[in-house]
Amino acid sequence: MQQADVFAALSNPVRREILVRLRGGPIAAGNLARGFALGRPAVSEHLQVLRNARLVREERRGRERYYHLDPEPLSEVETWLAAFTRYWKDRMAALETVLDEEEGDA
Amino acid sequence: MSTPPVIKLDHFYAHAPARVWRALTTPEIHARWWAAGDVRAEVGHRFELDMGAWGKQQCEVLAVEPERLLKYSFAPGLLDTTITWVLTPEGDGTRLTLLHEGFDVESPMGKKALEGMGKGWPGILARMEQALAS
Repeated sequence: MQQADVFAALSNPVRREILVRLRGGPIAAGNLARGFALGRPAVSEHLQVLRNARLVREERRGRERYYHLDPEPLSEVETWLAAFTRYWKDRMAALETVLDEEEGDA
Repeated sequence: MSTPPVIKLDHFYAHAPARVWRALTTPEIHARWWAAGDVRAEVGHRFELDMGAWGKQQCEVLAVEPERLLKYSFAPGLLDTTITWVLTPEGDGTRLTLLHEGFDVESPMGKKALEGMGKGWPGILARMEQALAS
């Protein structure tokens, strides 16, 4: 369930941008929202999706809420993709061999 | 597009686009570098790719631009992904770009692929930056 949420969370460009911005460290909700052309409520909704996917977590500091990147769920996606990437690299290398052989026959 | 392209690879071949295209769309050649199946450059054409241990996977051709682009759905219901091959002339050769997108990690093959693998630091964020920049 959690992994599926991660994929849904990553499917939106605003949410991907939020994650990229949070790489540098926690950012206060207000500052985070200011960077986008969207209104603050729309950004809050995106943050909620990211929180549900456990990609970000919220921390209260006085009256401000800070958002932290939590990359743990991404590692699941990453290892999974890495397997396919290796698979495709092998296939593309095999294609080179076949093309070279074909050229030799021509 | 509802999902980001999750795998993007490219490779240069010292062969003309026509030859690379042939290898992508001719079953006899296709079987030698990837999988056996009745692949054909015709939109709407359905074919099966014999993926060995992963079984026979259904595909349907979604887009064809001769010697430029071939796109098909791959393993609907199991992986539910789309594969796009883009051919770009480069000097006397061809740069072939592969886009494999639309992964569902909850799918049976996704679960299988996850089994037995360790966890690594996510380089995916770097990839996301590239996707955002493009």
